[in-house]
Amino acid sequence: MSDKMAFDALVIGGGIAGGESALNLANNGYKVLIVEKELSIGGKMILLSKVFPTLDCAACITTPKISEIARHPLITIYNGSEVLHVNKIAENNFKAKIRKNPRYVIQEDCTGCQLCEQACPVNVPDQYQFNLVGRKAAFIPFNIASPRVAAIDIENCTLCGACERACPTKCIDFSQVPEEFEISIKTVIIATGFDLFDPLKIPRYSYEKSYNVITSMQMERLLAPTRPFHTILRPGDGKMPDKIAYVLCTGSRDTSVGNPICSQICCMYSIKQAQLLMGALPMADITIYYINIRSFGKGFEEFYEQAKGMGVTFVKGKIGKITEIEKGNLQLRYEDINEGVVKEAEHDMVVLSVGVLPNQGVSKMFTEQELKTDPYNFVYQPDLLISPSKTSIDGVFVSGTASGPMDIPDSILSAGAASTEAISYLNSVCP
Amino acid sequence: MKTKIGVYICHCGGNISDYVDVEKVKQAIEKEEGVSLSKTTIFACADSNQKEMVEDIKNNNLEGVVVASCSPKLHQITFRAVTERAGLNKYNYVHANIREQASWAHSDKKTEATEKAIQIVKAAVAKARLATSLNPIKIESKKSVAVIGAGVAGLKSALELANMGVNVHLIERDFFIGGRVAQWDNLCTSNDKGKDIISRLYKEISSKKNIQLYTGAEVISYSGSIGDFHLKLKIQPRFIHNNSNTEKLQKAIDACPVEVPDAFNFNITKRKAIYKNFPGEFPELPVIDIVSCTKCGVCEKICDQIDFSQKEEIIDINIGSVLMATGFDPYMPAEAEFGYQQSDNVITLPQFQRLIANSNNKLSYLNKEIKNIAFIYCVGSRQVEGENKYCSRYCCTTTIHAAIEAKKKFPEINNFHFTRGIRTYGKQEILYRESLLNGDVYLQSYEDDPAQVLIENGKTIVRINDILTKKKEVDIDADLVVLVTGMTPREDNSIGSLFKLPKGRDKFFNEIHMKLRPVETVIDGITIAGACQGPKNVMESINSGLSAAVKSYSYVSKGELELEPIIAVINKDACIWCGKCAAVCPFGAIKMENDGKKDFAIMNNSVCKGCGMCLPVCPTDAIELIAYSNKEIESMIDALL
Repeated sequence: MSDKMAFDALVIGGGIAGGESALNLANNGYKVLIVEKELSIGGKMILLSKVFPTLDCAACITTPKISEIARHPLITIYNGSEVLHVNKIAENNFKAKIRKNPRYVIQEDCTGCQLCEQACPVNVPDQYQFNLVGRKAAFIPFNIASPRVAAIDIENCTLCGACERACPTKCIDFSQVPEEFEISIKTVIIATGFDLFDPLKIPRYSYEKSYNVITSMQMERLLAPTRPFHTILRPGDGKMPDKIAYVLCTGSRDTSVGNPICSQICCMYSIKQAQLLMGALPMADITIYYINIRSFGKGFEEFYEQAKGMGVTFVKGKIGKITEIEKGNLQLRYEDINEGVVKEAEHDMVVLSVGVLPNQGVSKMFTEQELKTDPYNFVYQPDLLISPSKTSIDGVFVSGTASGPMDIPDSILSAGAASTEAISYLNSVCP
Repeated sequence: MKTKIGVYICHCGGNISDYVDVEKVKQAIEKEEGVSLSKTTIFACADSNQKEMVEDIKNNNLEGVVVASCSPKLHQITFRAVTERAGLNKYNYVHANIREQASWAHSDKKTEATEKAIQIVKAAVAKARLATSLNPIKIESKKSVAVIGAGVAGLKSALELANMGVNVHLIERDFFIGGRVAQWDNLCTSNDKGKDIISRLYKEISSKKNIQLYTGAEVISYSGSIGDFHLKLKIQPRFIHNNSNTEKLQKAIDACPVEVPDAFNFNITKRKAIYKNFPGEFPELPVIDIVSCTKCGVCEKICDQIDFSQKEEIIDINIGSVLMATGFDPYMPAEAEFGYQQSDNVITLPQFQRLIANSNNKLSYLNKEIKNIAFIYCVGSRQVEGENKYCSRYCCTTTIHAAIEAKKKFPEINNFHFTRGIRTYGKQEILYRESLLNGDVYLQSYEDDPAQVLIENGKTIVRINDILTKKKEVDIDADLVVLVTGMTPREDNSIGSLFKLPKGRDKFFNEIHMKLRPVETVIDGITIAGACQGPKNVMESINSGLSAAVKSYSYVSKGELELEPIIAVINKDACIWCGKCAAVCPFGAIKMENDGKKDFAIMNNSVCKGCGMCLPVCPTDAIELIAYSNKEIESMIDALL
């Protein structure tokens, strides 16, 4: 195998946890390959508005990290790629099969001019804006993507050739095919992140039935600096909302949808969004319906108190049902715990604070050895209290939310742990 | 004077351009002397723009670069790196902050914000015109790290640093290692025992030749800086020789006539003046508590390895990085806080943990059998009146776990939880469910109406207006009240003061950036791990310890470090040595020297941080800050006026 196909570490997932793990390794002299299934690295963090409790702009603090990762001489990144299979031959000796899906664009030649985007006649929902707006079939994933180059969504492409004709550098190439190749590595870090709960699993919350019921991730996009509408508005009719409700624990702490655990981040991101909304829409009323507020991290409780001080209303009670009434407004039925009575309240926009679910499929990459998962399908941590990043396979480590819900600082700490254990492992086997 | 300066004005995706007219800024700057290229960009920091900048610098042979965007704290390093990648010395880059200083500060006055932004960028251009190329200061970095604190975070980071090939000095103030975790019995959520975890780590650590463990040791002074710290350690004697006969020592312990409260068991039991905290503790050698010892000599007669002539030692160590893992103190309730010290059946959570660990068959406290236990949450955390506004994070889960364990061991007990809303985040939620299924009773109040402890007719009543039952007043006649005490920063902050480590609002050590740099500190070369940075459970402390380890490792792994060349330089001829500069230097970088002719100040280049504190106090203007010379500053002021 050529040197080009040999690395010290394979990092599966190029979100903030994978990126931080890769940087820790590369900064200490190890050669790393990041395999990212999306078209850009940066994971979920790069798509956020601001982060709690510092209210730093997420793009502002993520992009320097992303560009440090992208230009590190010891880090190679495969975007739009998948790890098909990992096999441990011996300690310090893994083989992995990677599939690099075609982008149908010659990455090196694309200048990101967006002329292809303008030429493309196809409109489809934009997954990076969580379907709030459309995008073309020839598109740049998002403004601060890394790499910021075009890709062709071949599923939706009509092969009309408009993009090819528009491209000034002739970098669109429909002849690209998936490439599969084998690499050899000495250690593996799993940083596959999390999925968001799909609120369609709770039909009584009227998601997609009522356009003015959105998810918290959609609200992140509405609030982000690279936001689709440049303001906050209801997707249903474009009206600026003035009475917004948050429904906490949507898909968390709920055995009826098969997820008994707490997602750890929703209370805080909802409180953050509430504070941002009070800035963006000073006249709006924001109400957060909760079971327990879990503001447990550094500076979190103070942040919660700050939101209360700003006038965010907190109501202890779980929402039972959301019904659309006239003018696209929504009626929320809930038990007000403090008063012990069932009540109804009208809001003009509802944000479902959706929970964190495991990104399944990672254990299927390992066939010769068993990568164990916990009862909730997160990567199992057999030595939780001494080596939290160890997995059931020696030499395979877990970083970030692949092992359970956590916020950004905890993901960074977990990434630090995974990279340290990986370096120790590399040293122990091949000194 | 430079004539080819490139200026980039950033929209910051609206953060700037919503308030500052960036096109207008660009037009104003284009005309400035020396500016040969100016552009606006949506996100200057984005990879695509960085690429474009590199191309621009190369194609136009730019001699200086200015980016007008956010705070230099965020992106100065980013753009310096861009400049360097384009083959231009990175000190020809000047950062202008038009976000925090213009758009955000004056979001209500757009015209004025634009005016101000123009002035700020003009000043930066003026500085760029005079900027010169500089080379970083290269220093050797010692491939060893001092880990301060041998609790679970310190032990684990020491172990992995050693595994990564670094020499480790593990420094523990106590005579035994293990910190708070050694005091815990079953731990959530793995049911490992605290002392088993510590034993495992200790065994691994003792097998490493590159870890030197010091117990009874304190850092008494420090000097130097990243790559080359010098620490002085004071090591207290144990008054017992190594390799002593275990049996004889046990006899000596049994014979000791002195009994003092046992701090390991949070004073609910007594120990001798010669003691070990528990069998199998590490190091295995007992110690004589010389403060409590009456020197009666009974132990000496039984065991000839006891030696009162042992003296404290002073040791110097030289390391490249310091990893602080100094832990926390449990909150100490004030007298009469929820009945504490008013009734002897009111104890704290750590005391309860020791009580459960040390009890068998039936649960009793002070010879009274315990049936009803009332846990009062958030004692010393989320205070309305007191200083501790923060949530201590670990206590909800730990208490619920302790209640489950207590119930397993003593099925006849009833647990009543007086909460302010349970915070079993993540997978810990499962324990809460388990506890509910066990029949534990949960009651809740808000901050402004906490539960009360009433001592009436020899009974301890806990009263709450329970919001879960429409604010019904509920009384529980409790046999034992457990105050769920939170984590507080170490009361003794001598080590923090010694290193001048900044503390946050909550008085825990502060990191550089809460989100992305949680283990680094503003003092280069010093990292923080575990609960000294803020409340954490065991797993979180380990993660933080390992993160700190990899950062400390990166300071020393290459054996060489590059430091900022922006430092103060002293003009020896102009210096009259008044000592004022040395007195104000926060880093101790300035010393006096004499060349036989006169006294003068000299600068330790690897310690100077270029803060500029020494400049204004110098009566003869003998000090200049590189890259911030009078000429440069004056040109910036001229541009601003």
